[in-house]
Amino acid sequence: MSAAGIGRGLTPSLAEAPSAPRRFLGLQRALPAAGVIAGLLLITGPLLAMLIRSLLVWEGEAGRLSLANFTRVLAEPRVWEAVGNTAICGAGATLLSCTLGFTLAWLVARTDMPGRRWLELGNLVPFFLSPYVGAISWIYLVAPGSGLLQQFAMRHLGLDLGFINIYSLGGVIWVLTLFYTPYVYLFVMSPLKQMDAALEDAARVHGAGFWYTLRHVSIPLVSPALLSGALVVFITSAGLFDVPLALALPSGIPTMPTEIFAAVQYPADFGRAAAFGMMVLGVTILLTLAQRRYLARRRYEIVTGKGYRPRLLPLGRAGRIVALGLEAVYIGGAVLLPMMALVMVSLSRLWTGSFDISRASLANFTYVLFSFRLTQQAILNSLILAVTGATIGVALAVLQAYYLNRGTPARRGLADAVLSLPLGIPGIILGLGFLILAIRTPLYSTLTIVLIAYVARFFPFATRTVSAMFLAINPELEQSARASGASWAQSMRWVLLPLLKPAVIAAWLMLFVIFIRELGATILLYAQGTETISVALVLLADRSAGYVAALAVVQLVLLLLAFTLFRLTRTTVTQS
Amino acid sequence: MDSKAFIRVDGLVKQYGPHRALDGVSFQVAEGHTLALLGPSGCGKTTMLRCIAGLETPDTGVIEIAGRVVFDAARGINLPSEERQLGIVFQSYAVWPHMSVAENVGFPLRVRRVPKAEQQARVARMLEIVGLGAWAEKSATQLSGGQQQRVALARALIHEPRLVLFDEALSNLDAQLREQMRMELKILQDRLGFTAIYVTHDQSEAFGLAERLVVMNRGRVETEGGPRSVFHRPATPFVARFLGLNVLEGEMLGSEGGQAEIRLPQGMRLRGTLGDGTIPARGSKVLACVRKEHVRFGGFGLPAELRASSFLGLTEEYVLDLGGIELRAVQPPTGGAPGDRVQVAIRPEECVVLPAG
Repeated sequence: MSAAGIGRGLTPSLAEAPSAPRRFLGLQRALPAAGVIAGLLLITGPLLAMLIRSLLVWEGEAGRLSLANFTRVLAEPRVWEAVGNTAICGAGATLLSCTLGFTLAWLVARTDMPGRRWLELGNLVPFFLSPYVGAISWIYLVAPGSGLLQQFAMRHLGLDLGFINIYSLGGVIWVLTLFYTPYVYLFVMSPLKQMDAALEDAARVHGAGFWYTLRHVSIPLVSPALLSGALVVFITSAGLFDVPLALALPSGIPTMPTEIFAAVQYPADFGRAAAFGMMVLGVTILLTLAQRRYLARRRYEIVTGKGYRPRLLPLGRAGRIVALGLEAVYIGGAVLLPMMALVMVSLSRLWTGSFDISRASLANFTYVLFSFRLTQQAILNSLILAVTGATIGVALAVLQAYYLNRGTPARRGLADAVLSLPLGIPGIILGLGFLILAIRTPLYSTLTIVLIAYVARFFPFATRTVSAMFLAINPELEQSARASGASWAQSMRWVLLPLLKPAVIAAWLMLFVIFIRELGATILLYAQGTETISVALVLLADRSAGYVAALAVVQLVLLLLAFTLFRLTRTTVTQS
Repeated sequence: MDSKAFIRVDGLVKQYGPHRALDGVSFQVAEGHTLALLGPSGCGKTTMLRCIAGLETPDTGVIEIAGRVVFDAARGINLPSEERQLGIVFQSYAVWPHMSVAENVGFPLRVRRVPKAEQQARVARMLEIVGLGAWAEKSATQLSGGQQQRVALARALIHEPRLVLFDEALSNLDAQLREQMRMELKILQDRLGFTAIYVTHDQSEAFGLAERLVVMNRGRVETEGGPRSVFHRPATPFVARFLGLNVLEGEMLGSEGGQAEIRLPQGMRLRGTLGDGTIPARGSKVLACVRKEHVRFGGFGLPAELRASSFLGLTEEYVLDLGGIELRAVQPPTGGAPGDRVQVAIRPEECVVLPAG
């Protein structure tokens, strides 16, 4: 047939056609896939190393496979005590931060509490602060016998608060609660805000009172968000190293993260640490899977986008006082009091437990910033790590989000599951994995291994953020660029990346904040010369409160700067 | 095959897991012509369009545009979208929110590295043509739906592609605007002379725009032809139902000179025109297809009962009970009430008889 003739006639010209299209087609597939593979390697590498190390027992020069590490760990009463304490801390912090987070979100979203526009933002500030610095500040505030709060209570109120001991599980739970409340707050805020008013109005019209509606309609509708927030808080707060290091270790209370830390201190017992780590990892993964299953089963479609905004509940006079009182306790306890204590300590040449404004001096700052090699190096290292780490992490995140949202659907599920694994893995566990992986390589004790661990532990946060933005971008926007004659790279540069910009900036700033304050992974991987700000704070803790506080203030300034930028970019985005 | 075909699609198959979205689709379009791909949602028409645009990769088959093979599974040829030199207008318009109207429209020239001055001149001219001259520097998100539609259209035409694809391009507009755009599109096409493929589920849109129709169903071409022949002589029961005709089941009694006599289940007899070349065997199952407008009241006809009516303005749509079968009629208002008994007449030349199944 003639058509076949046309086809044959065309073959030579096509053979001569440049091979460029094929190459670009390759790039479109290869680049996102490379991002996913890099992510998979970053996660599985350290975990496999830890698994293998946990099964190895050394006999002289020869290693053999054995479960001896596990049986040894399980036989130690101290391990069980540590696990029990960590469970108590995690459960306590979860319970308290869920109550506080839900209440604050509800006050902001659904009542006429005065100043709720500012408080909505204020409640989020702790999200950007360092839990380790928060714990130190609370030591200054309520150290046994000499804390600022106790002195204030004694002098002005005649109250003896000497019985409060911050070096306890209660202290750990208190500080964890302050820092994890914003997680729950963020989880429940959008369902509370976007819930279709008709759902509640229907209950009211059909005879339910306000409290009955809250209990039987509103809270059940928010409960999937609340429960998934609770699980995230439990997993991450229990695995957090910073707070037990500051508040539990000094009084000899064992916890899971500090035990793993202790196991790799001289004389190091990597077998024990790895076995302990594997067990923690197992529990973490089980909990994460349970959460996924739970969420998959019940996802209410309450975010309709249509319908009316829910009505605001008038609080009344007494209600306002209670609501503002709660806000004062939370923002005061999580932000204002710790900052005040930090500033006081940092301005005192010698901290004796009380602040004398007439003797305030900037000597600690001058020393930390201009004279002390350790702190100078630490600030520089933290900045290098945060800037390069956030950039690499966001680049990976864009590629992975592209793969997860635009790639072959069949392969997305598994990649998504593995890539979101680190969200629940404690930093100290992944740090341990990288330590085992790198200890016999030239990477050991370099800044690079710290950087790799940072990216590996935290890129999923960026991937989540960018991926969420992808959902809002119609693929036809890129496709029409392709059909208009743009190559894949051009359509990325001119269409997709500009559209993703808000998410890319938000993700970058989030990673920057996380990296500036990271401690759990760093503490296992740092060496002389690669200390970060957080590590320097730990190293100086026993030497000088003034230096610690001054350095903490420097870190705080960096974190608040990122927070401000975050808000600024967010507002310009919503305005445009 | 027609060697002058501008677009040739041959044996296209596209499988999504167990679902076969395209099941051996073939058709051709002559240069400067307009083809409408018509069918219900899920029939594969959008997949077909996306395969031509290079946005989906078929499993087998050949696609040829302007004498150039852009896809051939057997030879491993698959040109990316940007190499196919076409324009596309999506249902969502896909107007880029981060660019101004002029930047949106100028994009195809920008990627082709057309000199700046020429870009500006051509964008200005194109915006005049689509009636958006005053809007060039506005952000694309400030425009109404109809204006965004024009931006998308201008963007699809600016680089003077010889083929322009429309994916449900008019269905998001309100009825009045849709009518106006349809007219403007026809005028633009006459002026610029591009070949067009429209995907739509709306038959009036397809009839109004296209010189040729391909009706698709479950990934296959159900029928193909000019609007008039597809409309007046539905080739298959699916097409008849899709076009909103009454489809009555019956049994073949006999035929004479292209006309058939059939028996409806209640024993009533009906005469119709044989739809395709074959003559169904006596006693075999057949389907009689009648347009609602051709079910006429009065005279000597079939006894029916009026069940419901809905006022449409110049006409009224009636639901009739023809011995247990539902029959719909669109006729000038008669003032009949539910429960009234009426006689309906169906002319043999207005009733198409097709073999069932």
